[in-house]
Amino acid sequence: MSSSTASRQASQPRTTFSPGVKAGSSLRRRRDNLNGWAFAAPFLVFFLVFLIWPILYGFYMSLTGKSLTGANDSLIGFSNYAEAFADSGMWRSLGNTLYFTVISTVPLVLVALVMAALLNIGLPAQWLWRLSYFAPFLLASTVVSLFFVWMYNPQLGLINDFLSKFGIPKVGWLNDPNVAMWSIVIATLWWTVGFNFLLYLAAMQNIPAQHYEAASLDGAGAWRQFFSITLPQLTPTTVMIVLLQILASLKVFDQIYQMTAGGPGGSTRPVVQYIFETGFTGYRLGYSAAISYIFFGLIVLVSVLQFVITRRRSA
Amino acid sequence: MKQFESLTGKSLSRRQLLTGSALLGGGLLTAGLTGCGGPAGAASRQTINFWHLLSGGDGTKMQAMIANANQANAGFKVHPTVLAWGPPYYTKLAMASAGGRPPEVAIMHASRVPGYAPGGLIEPWDLGLLAENGITPENFAPRIWEKGQQGGKVFSLALDSHPFIMFYNTDVAGKAGLLESNGRLQEVSSPEEFKAMALEMQKITKAHGLSFGYLNLGSQMWRLFYTLYKQHGAEIVLTPGKPMEADRDAAIESLEFMASLFDDTIAAKSGDINTGIAEFVRGDSGMLFSGGWELPTMKKANLPVDAVTIPTLYGTPASYADSHSFVLPRQLAVDEEQRKDAYKFVSDVLKGSLLWAEAGHIPAFQPVIQSPAYRELTPQVHYANAADIIAYDPEAWFSGSGSDWQTYFAEHIQNVLLGRDKAVTGWDGFVARTNDLLSRPNPV
Repeated sequence: MSSSTASRQASQPRTTFSPGVKAGSSLRRRRDNLNGWAFAAPFLVFFLVFLIWPILYGFYMSLTGKSLTGANDSLIGFSNYAEAFADSGMWRSLGNTLYFTVISTVPLVLVALVMAALLNIGLPAQWLWRLSYFAPFLLASTVVSLFFVWMYNPQLGLINDFLSKFGIPKVGWLNDPNVAMWSIVIATLWWTVGFNFLLYLAAMQNIPAQHYEAASLDGAGAWRQFFSITLPQLTPTTVMIVLLQILASLKVFDQIYQMTAGGPGGSTRPVVQYIFETGFTGYRLGYSAAISYIFFGLIVLVSVLQFVITRRRSA
Repeated sequence: MKQFESLTGKSLSRRQLLTGSALLGGGLLTAGLTGCGGPAGAASRQTINFWHLLSGGDGTKMQAMIANANQANAGFKVHPTVLAWGPPYYTKLAMASAGGRPPEVAIMHASRVPGYAPGGLIEPWDLGLLAENGITPENFAPRIWEKGQQGGKVFSLALDSHPFIMFYNTDVAGKAGLLESNGRLQEVSSPEEFKAMALEMQKITKAHGLSFGYLNLGSQMWRLFYTLYKQHGAEIVLTPGKPMEADRDAAIESLEFMASLFDDTIAAKSGDINTGIAEFVRGDSGMLFSGGWELPTMKKANLPVDAVTIPTLYGTPASYADSHSFVLPRQLAVDEEQRKDAYKFVSDVLKGSLLWAEAGHIPAFQPVIQSPAYRELTPQVHYANAADIIAYDPEAWFSGSGSDWQTYFAEHIQNVLLGRDKAVTGWDGFVARTNDLLSRPNPV
């Protein structure tokens, strides 16, 4: 309120200039505009060349039979899309991506919340906890994959070695089609939970202390306070984290490609890898562009759904 | 592509740009426009860019052969780029060719050429120019020379054939009483005899008779399968638009035999390729199915080792193999001088490929094979017959070493080998997957 009045006052002198200077002011506005565009130009160039143009060109490509070898560049309409909708390989990999998204998003949000809450009740050496929770996030995906490939090794790995001390039989962490995706989720959880944790912690520290004071005066215990104050106050953060997490999980590729290359038996191949294989090792750029756009449509759909749900909730 | 061509002018390569700028004192633009006729290479050595995917024991041999060629030729210097085996290499080679910035020479597996040649990613070799450098068709075994051709033109020039063979530990075999008087392993000719031999060796090692690691590696499963399948005298024919033609009974028999080996007595139930090699090197098994290119590993370990082609268990001798071959990626504009140097380099390497035999490969250049020096190389000469019974991958745009097709094979066959699926289920699944590929538009 106060700021808007202030700005109105500040802008008053401009509008009360005598009509004679009007031409000069429009000239200045144009110059301001030019300066603005000049400053924005470097970004705009990159935005157009590396985002807008590829999006448009990719869509055009999805309507052609373009191949990496240069054969058959002609427009073929929507037949790539028709082929994709009947392609069991695409549906299977899309299913894998969705499966990964579901089973990774839930722990990545819940564990982050628990970690932040534990830290927020006032553990000593806060910086150490913050550092150790967040540090894995700074590692490259290649490093994380190597760590886990070694630890998951069925014969020599740390994990099976540890389990065998309790008489638990060897698990084929990355070799068993029923287990492999879960193993990747565990690795991903360790790797990226720190980011969500940090967002939650920042939000928790922003909840005014008097809420808790008032609640404890009214006799509310720690659990009651957590469920009735902390969680509701965190709702906007939770919505944002879930949205970001879903989008990040849908894009999964690096760690899977490096840990299992989509195996065993194609049970972990995400759709991004299928796009890569179709286009680059299978030469079919046009067809892989079509699958990308189907996937893109799915992501837009998820984002819109999310948006609608959160709007309804906040309204 | 065309845009790229017009953007860069006639034939502005980096080398020309550099020589041009040196000669004209910074007149870069002028150099670009007139670079074609510039006296390149007169003062400085040309650079020949050469890409390959050999990074193991054979990578060092390749490095030595390149150094030899560089030493023998004052006119050019070969600059090698080594990329990771399999999809990383082939995607980059295809992208570089499509993008107009490929190396002057590259190595490809002969089995991958059918995916490259028809689309125009590589150019045929000029037989006249080859002959000038002393390379003629007669220098190659007919089967290998024929493999380099597509539509009547020679697209790839084989450096070797590298078969899938059987190493055996002569100590273990000797103690098991399985050696002939000449010190070579007894021949077996049926699956039962082979298993009996493996069991004899197992009694000596107390661990396993045979090592073969395959987990999560389609190429490895395919190599053994295709050897056994071809031993039935059967073929696989892949024609786009038609279902795959194959001998189902032969395939299932081969798969069932493979699965029966992994019983934790003859061979370990599961293990990846490195576990298999390590087990054999430790002496915990008497035999190893492996590529001949693992020979340097065995030599380094000082293992008492000999090698033979995979025993003929189903009547027809056959040995899965591929050939590392030289190809000429398509250039936007060919620099004749540079191309001549590339021919000279390749012919030098072929003539000096005795070094290559030390890495376990069988040189394709016959004068090397017939030389007394090669005849003295053991165990290489003991499996050199593989070149005569060579079984290359069935031809299609999607087949070949390190292709996705081999991954699809693994997706259906691994569970058969692990005893989780029946051979019929695995094979039929793989056939259906292949038929799906064949029904798709052919991108080359």
